[in-house]
Amino acid sequence: MNVPAGAMHGRVMPLGEVLFKFKTWIKSPVVAVQESLAVLGIAVGVALLFASQVASQSLDGSVRQLTHELVGGTQYQLDARGPTGFPEALEQQVQALPGVKAALPLIDQQATIIGRHARASVDLIGVDPRFAQLGGPLARKFSGRELSRQKVIALPKPLAMTLGVEAFQDVMLQTDSGTQETLLAATLGTSEVGGLVNSQLALAPIRYAQILVGSRGRISRLYIKVDPAQRQQAAAGLRRLASADDLNFLPSDFDAQLFAVASAPAQQGETLFSLISAVVGFLFAFNAMLLTVGERRKWINTMRSQGTDRWMIVQALAFDALVIGIAASILGVGLGELLSIELFHSEPGYLAFAFPVGQQRIVTFQTLAIAVAAGFVAALVGVLAPVRDILGRPLREAVEIERTPVGWTPARIATGLVCLAVTTAIVLFRPQSAVLGVVTLVIAALALLPFLFNAIVWAFVRVQQPLGWTPLRLAAGELTDPLTRVRSLAIAATGAIAVFGSVAIAGAQHNLQDGLDGTATEWNRTADVWVSPAGENNTLATSPFPAATAGRLRGLPALSSVDIYRGGFLDVGERRVWVIAPPERSADPIPAGQLTEGDLQQANRRLRAGGWAVLSEAIAHERHLHIGDSFMLPSPHPTRFRVAGLSTNGGWPPGAIVINSSDYAKAWNSTAASALNIQVAAGYSHAAARAEILAALGPRSGLAVQTAGEREGQWKRISRRGLARLTQISVLVSIAAILAMAGVMSSLLWQRRERIAYLKMNGNGKAAMWLALFFESAVLLGSGCLIGATFGLYGQLVISHALATVTGFPITISVGTAIAILSFLVVSTSALAIVAAPGFLAVRVRPSLVKPT
Amino acid sequence: MSSTFTNAVRPGKRQTRTLGMLQVVDLVKHYTVGDQPVRAVDGVTLRIDPGEMVALYGPSGSGKSTLIDMIAGFRRPDSGMVIVDGRDVHTLSNREHAIYLRATVGIVGEPKQLLEHMSARENASMKLWRTHRRNATRVVAPLLVELGLGERMDQPVRKLSMGERQRTMIALALSTEPKLVLADEPTGSLDTVLSREVLELIHSLCHDRGTAVLLATHDPLAVKVADRAFELRDGHLRDYQPETLATAERDESIAG
Repeated sequence: MNVPAGAMHGRVMPLGEVLFKFKTWIKSPVVAVQESLAVLGIAVGVALLFASQVASQSLDGSVRQLTHELVGGTQYQLDARGPTGFPEALEQQVQALPGVKAALPLIDQQATIIGRHARASVDLIGVDPRFAQLGGPLARKFSGRELSRQKVIALPKPLAMTLGVEAFQDVMLQTDSGTQETLLAATLGTSEVGGLVNSQLALAPIRYAQILVGSRGRISRLYIKVDPAQRQQAAAGLRRLASADDLNFLPSDFDAQLFAVASAPAQQGETLFSLISAVVGFLFAFNAMLLTVGERRKWINTMRSQGTDRWMIVQALAFDALVIGIAASILGVGLGELLSIELFHSEPGYLAFAFPVGQQRIVTFQTLAIAVAAGFVAALVGVLAPVRDILGRPLREAVEIERTPVGWTPARIATGLVCLAVTTAIVLFRPQSAVLGVVTLVIAALALLPFLFNAIVWAFVRVQQPLGWTPLRLAAGELTDPLTRVRSLAIAATGAIAVFGSVAIAGAQHNLQDGLDGTATEWNRTADVWVSPAGENNTLATSPFPAATAGRLRGLPALSSVDIYRGGFLDVGERRVWVIAPPERSADPIPAGQLTEGDLQQANRRLRAGGWAVLSEAIAHERHLHIGDSFMLPSPHPTRFRVAGLSTNGGWPPGAIVINSSDYAKAWNSTAASALNIQVAAGYSHAAARAEILAALGPRSGLAVQTAGEREGQWKRISRRGLARLTQISVLVSIAAILAMAGVMSSLLWQRRERIAYLKMNGNGKAAMWLALFFESAVLLGSGCLIGATFGLYGQLVISHALATVTGFPITISVGTAIAILSFLVVSTSALAIVAAPGFLAVRVRPSLVKPT
Repeated sequence: MSSTFTNAVRPGKRQTRTLGMLQVVDLVKHYTVGDQPVRAVDGVTLRIDPGEMVALYGPSGSGKSTLIDMIAGFRRPDSGMVIVDGRDVHTLSNREHAIYLRATVGIVGEPKQLLEHMSARENASMKLWRTHRRNATRVVAPLLVELGLGERMDQPVRKLSMGERQRTMIALALSTEPKLVLADEPTGSLDTVLSREVLELIHSLCHDRGTAVLLATHDPLAVKVADRAFELRDGHLRDYQPETLATAERDESIAG
């Protein structure tokens, strides 16, 4: 590589010169291979970060999208407090308010659709024709297309296929007012409803929807468009009207706000995993970049010997980083897109019961920008950081040993200990800051890792000394070699972070799953058999149906009792609360495992008596309520209750309120049932009872008959699905870590062939050499994973504590040592197994005194 | 110079009559570089007795290292035999070969091959790990003292001078009291004064121990220190010609 004589110092190199230097650098096959590996490494990091961000944003985004799809440019809504809605005549009063430009009525009711093959709980939305001009895209598309058919509904295509129905076929629609036949006019695809194509909703013209739900002359909501110049005036008028008519006055996108509260725990979990994915991805990238350090140092030495000054070298390196960054970002975003589509599905799980969420992916510019920026930063840091010492010195023989800056060691120890202390403080005093607690724990792990790693290596060196076994001695020699220290620490750190993530999040997930499983058992075993509107969406039994159905079953010989259970969702402040109303005759209206404060017998006695409620802790603390306090429940018919006890949230993040079934009927002004709790008579099997019930209900009742065990199983399946993505991400992060560690370790072993040849020249056979490499790899890989598992156990506690204390989840706090051991073993042995092959090949190197030509 | 042997050598078995510590019999090794055949070693026969130091002189690329590779057992000859201490080297099993490299042969390689983070003592004791599991570093200490590394033996190799590193290499090679030492350009990276020192050390230590030495070199000084000298030219071994040395010394003084 020739540089013109008299090269100037401190100048900006012309692009041609930069390109020339880069071309001569990349021409070497060794360099080309290493740079490709570096690109791949950074691309994996970018992919993980991109995919996990998309996954965590998509849930929130889908609810916002529905809101926008429906309400378009409206700013406010008046919302009925109960399922019966409010008189549509109110619309005229609203239109007459100063500043109001338009008021658009809407029906929004839970219903069940019964098709040929299946049934499903849906959100029945009745849309006014004026939405075609003023509403959102969804409403416009539907309204414009089907207004001429007044008594029809439309369903998303996937839902229609599940139900086994096509356009222009009849379906049955069940609401609390009864069951009726209706015509499916259209099935809606992605072009019509976008990502909501996977939502459980049914659209109908508002007049027809009123007939279907038995609410002629009544509506559920009014969406209001106001003149921006008169916004305050309009809002004041609307507030007065809402107060007078017992309505909720809310922003038009209020559903999205409620959803944000409901999904917060899941989002936090996914944010944590995004962070951990980002760190593992960066370490993957850093490990890959370390492969190129040796060649890059030679390149720098060559440039310096030809008169290129420091600043010009930095420009050349920065260009190299730019090329790597561009290639890695393009590849990484592509990989991430694939990951996001194939693996990181947005799984709403239980949240779909109360919110119309879809499964679409939402990719924002921010997501893309963060992922790409991270790729460039990784490339730049990876190129420049390992050679900063050589750039900082006058030209002389490159010193390979990384010199630790003065004061670095005490700073690291202090950082690690302070971060540990902060984590502990968060656990004890502020568990709601769990995300911060995990971040400080990760920083502590990385800061203390070099010392812990040194301690493990020191212990290994000491333990193997008296054994005097050559492979162990050789391994000990390599582990203490400062030449490979940076790479060794990078490998250990990768394993540590990956195992930390798996253990911490999987452990907390396991604790949560345990608690949710317990909840599923307790809530469902209160009856032998349950009858409720069919469909997974109605797992929490919140869809209404006529209470008279109970009368058809009483008197069946196989049934000893048939009681009405009621339930639903109620917006209390910014929470969409799950209201549970078991029958007064229920033995345990509040199961033992769910009560966290108060006397169980007294609480149950009070619930049965009526006028009392059990609140989940989060709701009680938010409203400063204690046992015995009185509060007004903002139900459709506001009703005063007294607090009988505090409970978990029953697995529903915003919280739960337990009252008895009769109180619910009064507060909601509705006798509709949500489920029937049936006890089987002595001497009859559950199967026999089910057969009798089905016969009595008839084939098109729209109701499902489930034993307690079946219902419990359904709960558990759904909760597992909702948490499944955490497992997916955890597995993917572990796989990335295994590949990163194995890749760099293999490279390290391969580059050591010259040394292996030297050791063989001095009488060490292939078997001894392979064993030495194996032991070295085992200590290196195992130490990182062990450190990660240890910190991960603490991370488990941090997250579990937060879930239990802040959100009131029914969580069993335990330290999952089994998960830690399993994760440690899987990651470390997998990486070791992969490394065995290159190690085997490396020791086959033949020693020779012949110099290569 | 060549010898013929009337007694056949049994593969892998030690002979009852010693015929010299090292016997190379009609060794041949040819390569192909591109399209060109290269006769690196073309029928070399050589014998070195215990305690004798033989210099193998020749320019770079003359086949010296190839010959030493074959004597060490790193490379198989196309034909011929290498007998060290009565055993045909190329009939040894892998395990026997490792023992051969540990106990029978000592190789003085390049100082840069030493493990820099370990001390001179630890480097020099590496071949003793199997036989002296717990006291290998103690056993090698007197040899390091003899080599003038008494006060420096516990320093990491990266802190040693080039001469000290070369002595560490010699200590490693001699640590197991081998029967034969192979040295490939042991003075390649040393100045004249140090070169003479190292060569004389090798000569005296090996002579005292009855160790045969084959020294491959293009250093004219080695020829003067060795007991005998040969030239390897065009794959053939010839007696060393002093004119060759005079020419080399003249070339060196011009370059110097």
